[in-house]
Amino acid sequence: MIVTYNWLKEFVDFDLSPEDLAHRLTMVGLEVDSMEKIGEGFDSVVVARLVAVEPHPEADRLTVCKVDNGAETVQVVCGATNHRAGDLVALAQVGSVLPGDFKIKKSKIRGRESMGMLCSEKELGLAEESAGIMILPPQLTVGVPVFEALGLKDVRFELGLTPNRADCLSVVGVAREVGAMVGRPVRLPPHAVTEEGEAAEALTSVTIEEPELCPRYAARLIRGVRIGPSPDWLVRRLESVGMRSISNVVDVTNLVLMELGHPLHAFDFSLLREGRIVVRRASEGEVFTTLDSQQRPLKSGDLIIADGEGAVALAGIMGGENSEIGAETVDILLESAYFHPPAIRRTSKRLGIHTESSHRFERGADVNMVPVALDRAASLIVELAGGRVAKGRIDAYPRPLPDRRLTLSASRNEEILGLSVEQTEIIRLLRSIGLEAVPAETRPDIVQVTVPSWRQDLEREIDLIEEIARLNGYDCIPVTMPVSRTICHRSPDHQRFSSRVRDFMASSGFSEVINYSFVSSGAWDRIGLSPQDSRRRTVRVLNPLTEEQSVMRTTLVASLLENVARNLAYRSRDLRLFELRPVFSPEDGEELPREKQRLTAVMCGRREPEGWTQAKEAVDFFDIKGVLESLFENLRITRVKWETSQIEPFLHPGKSSRLLRGDVVLGSVGEVHPKVLERFDIDQPLYLLDLDLEAAFASGADASTFRALSRFPDVYRDSAFLLDDEVPAEQVFAAIEKARGKEVEDVVLFDFYKGAGIPEGKKSLAVRVRYRSSERTLTDEEINRLHGRIVQALIREAGAQIR
Amino acid sequence: MKDRLESMQRSAHAALAQADSEAALQEVRIRFLGRKGEMTAIMKEMGALSPEERPLVGALANRIKDDLESALEERLASLREEEISRRLTLERIDVTLPGRRPFSGSKHPITLVTEEISEIFASLGFGIQEGPEVEKDLYNFEALNMPKDHPARDMQDTFYISDEVVLRTHTSPVQIRTMLQHAPPVRVIAPGTVYRRDSDITHSPMFHQIEGFLVDRKVTFGDLKGILTAFINQYFGRGTGVRFRPSFFPFTEPSAEVDIQCVICGGKGCRVCKNSGWLEILGSGMIDPEVFKAVNYDPAVYSGFAFGMGLERIAMLRYGVSDLRLFFENDLRFLKQFS
Repeated sequence: MIVTYNWLKEFVDFDLSPEDLAHRLTMVGLEVDSMEKIGEGFDSVVVARLVAVEPHPEADRLTVCKVDNGAETVQVVCGATNHRAGDLVALAQVGSVLPGDFKIKKSKIRGRESMGMLCSEKELGLAEESAGIMILPPQLTVGVPVFEALGLKDVRFELGLTPNRADCLSVVGVAREVGAMVGRPVRLPPHAVTEEGEAAEALTSVTIEEPELCPRYAARLIRGVRIGPSPDWLVRRLESVGMRSISNVVDVTNLVLMELGHPLHAFDFSLLREGRIVVRRASEGEVFTTLDSQQRPLKSGDLIIADGEGAVALAGIMGGENSEIGAETVDILLESAYFHPPAIRRTSKRLGIHTESSHRFERGADVNMVPVALDRAASLIVELAGGRVAKGRIDAYPRPLPDRRLTLSASRNEEILGLSVEQTEIIRLLRSIGLEAVPAETRPDIVQVTVPSWRQDLEREIDLIEEIARLNGYDCIPVTMPVSRTICHRSPDHQRFSSRVRDFMASSGFSEVINYSFVSSGAWDRIGLSPQDSRRRTVRVLNPLTEEQSVMRTTLVASLLENVARNLAYRSRDLRLFELRPVFSPEDGEELPREKQRLTAVMCGRREPEGWTQAKEAVDFFDIKGVLESLFENLRITRVKWETSQIEPFLHPGKSSRLLRGDVVLGSVGEVHPKVLERFDIDQPLYLLDLDLEAAFASGADASTFRALSRFPDVYRDSAFLLDDEVPAEQVFAAIEKARGKEVEDVVLFDFYKGAGIPEGKKSLAVRVRYRSSERTLTDEEINRLHGRIVQALIREAGAQIR
Repeated sequence: MKDRLESMQRSAHAALAQADSEAALQEVRIRFLGRKGEMTAIMKEMGALSPEERPLVGALANRIKDDLESALEERLASLREEEISRRLTLERIDVTLPGRRPFSGSKHPITLVTEEISEIFASLGFGIQEGPEVEKDLYNFEALNMPKDHPARDMQDTFYISDEVVLRTHTSPVQIRTMLQHAPPVRVIAPGTVYRRDSDITHSPMFHQIEGFLVDRKVTFGDLKGILTAFINQYFGRGTGVRFRPSFFPFTEPSAEVDIQCVICGGKGCRVCKNSGWLEILGSGMIDPEVFKAVNYDPAVYSGFAFGMGLERIAMLRYGVSDLRLFFENDLRFLKQFS
């Protein structure tokens, strides 16, 4: 909503500077988004009198003018032809900067000095086109800035109104708030109508078939108008609030719309079949062409304005092409109505039409403004377009809407605000914005309030309390701390679990990413999911912004791969990224999908940051596996099985693993499939881990368990042995696990070798077993016996050949 | 004999002074004090002395022996000292060479902001709750006093999954879920991801909010001001100007926007605050009685307040990030800047 400073002053007297006004409006809840001074910066364009106009001796089309600027007479060369000596003109003096950053300099035109420029309206930004220079009204004072002399200096405020304040969608509405601030009454614009001739009722009629949806419909008949351009003041006024001039009659309806906030519509009366108005519901399937030449299919719930035969307007939203005012229009039926807000909203939403009119009706117009706006517009039309207003205002208002009455208790007010406001002060504040407020006779604490028709948002006591707070100023409410009962509200375990995972990943060198939760449905093909993969069952957005954001993620993998590709493109080669976010999967028989937290991480590039003393190798499977093992240790997740069957389709089948704990799949880890990498334009090996954090959370032990420390010395024994290549290391550890006594403290695989010196089809492993008893120092003999058992187990269970 | 002892002592001192290594010192010890050394040789002749002379010479010999032994120790210590100093002057590294560092990771700036804000509210006694991102229209709108066809729904362009299911447009449905599950008092914050159908330079279709609310008996608008002022002082620094001004949210009444003095220009007016000197950072208000009715709280008994803030905006102010899109591009050069 745009209002201007001068326009507000027509309705209420106030002495606030534009800056103060903007601040005060913001602080009463009408936020000023921007403030713009109109005509500022043009003070050196002044009213000047043409003393003499002579032809330019060197040019036929130019004149050399002597101009009195109030201080001195200067010479200006001018190319226009519509000026003569004695006229008042707009002189842009040397140094002025006109719209479009046009600087006025002292110059010589065909040998004659020119000390400025005589301006046209177009050059001053006052009109889109103009013929010749601007000739000013003769009563203006020479030397005064033109914008000031013409009263065009103004300040435009753009208000960011909240949807509850429909009453402020007009200059009068904002003026009411200003009036409340300064304690002055608001004036309505003149709206007395001179009626002539036949009675309107004899010429036309209004029938409301849907009084619920259209409680009030008023109309006036104006005959013999001349459609034409609007006068300058009206054009400028509309422009000052961002509207374009169309014709005198349409401009009047728009002016009243901005002024009083009440949408009006003017029909060409000769085009109304049977010359009458019927307010009814549309017939299902009826097609109606609106003013903007769009065909609108209607439903039976839509409220329309019809004539004797069919629709002529979409009620409260837009008029129809079939009854539109045109250059030939002579007789007008002017509509001023009040519609039920949800009815207008439903239709405008469904059809996707949003107009100044629908905007106001769906938020709630002022039913009592119906006759005022009608008469204001009728009187202006007659003034600007001629014509005669038929006698009598048609005003169909079958069941007048009742006034809303509320009560407000001063003690309740204090309970909510934490600020005590006296009953008399409450009454004063509410009256300042036009509410009727009187003390209740029996209860000194209670105020009885009648809400004016323009404040439909005030429905309950709490709404009045907000008004008290607002009018008093939020600043006046004391800053206190709540006295509330203590409750233990520790964050849920799984949340703390997620934080721990995040902290662990960040401290392990990974950077956290956040991707959009919606992706393209093509993402599943790119990561190679099979047609049967359950992750193709997705939650879809009905109205996505783009196809790329149409499907809720069922895996984070595709997003991470895109992040890798992007970073590689920007020459970040050593990447460690992770994302910890929910994935969404539809659940049969459930309204909402299941949201499960997943952790996906990727790594590629060097094992250590580039540096003079750093390892130069690239990361491999065992780097990401190591991260995962440490993570499991950190989360106290034990007994994880590394499965090599049913590898994820986006992973390398020979260099990846599925993670199981019992029957529960925790996730996967491995090298990303080369074909998938290719689809993402990733040109180096990439390792990935993907975990179901809910499953992981369920697998972790609650707390660490302490084991007593032994005071006795440790002894270790190393054993190197050959194994068949196919035997996985896991089998070695399983064999040791089975044979180990309680004296085995830990077992480390400290060497792994394949190649020269080792027979074909074999590999060499070496383990170090550390022995320690919690009770005594172990003897050599005992250790040999314990270690012998392990060696025997290796031979028996894993087919090891001891070296 | 006495002379011989004393001359031996002199030559031993001379030899000591010349010994320049531990090995040389060892030789000196053997030559003078060893079992076959000079001292022993001289002492063998003690028997030739008269009984009167014997104790005198014996005492002298012991003195000389002690003297030599301590001189030997001293010399050894000083040799070792010299050896260490020599080594220390030779052993030099260039400490200005870069150290051996592991890769350093980082949490996303939105995570960092969430954690910091949550921590402040935790210290004010607020617990953390969460709710689904794909949410029922009922909780996202209707229970929050936004029935279908309510103009306030225009404030938030919505992504729909079905007629009754939406991507939540704010974290406020967590209020409803929490209050349906817990009787008052409740004192909760709810950080989370939210979605609005809007994408341009200042809007992202997915972003993050923190919701907070407190319900108990006798909670006032003054308390709302108190809690939020405490938060702002903690987060943006003590003495940061705060103002509350009327606004509208369907689920609060009275409602307030909370502005802080511009952290960029200190309130003088700049591009970031559009020359107003103020930055809007929070929406808030007293929970609307309609919301209480939807969760079966008695509005005559309980009152409370709620607030919400956009975390991207906070992060942009906190870290001076100028472009919203950076938060979702996941460029490592961006992510690494936050810790």
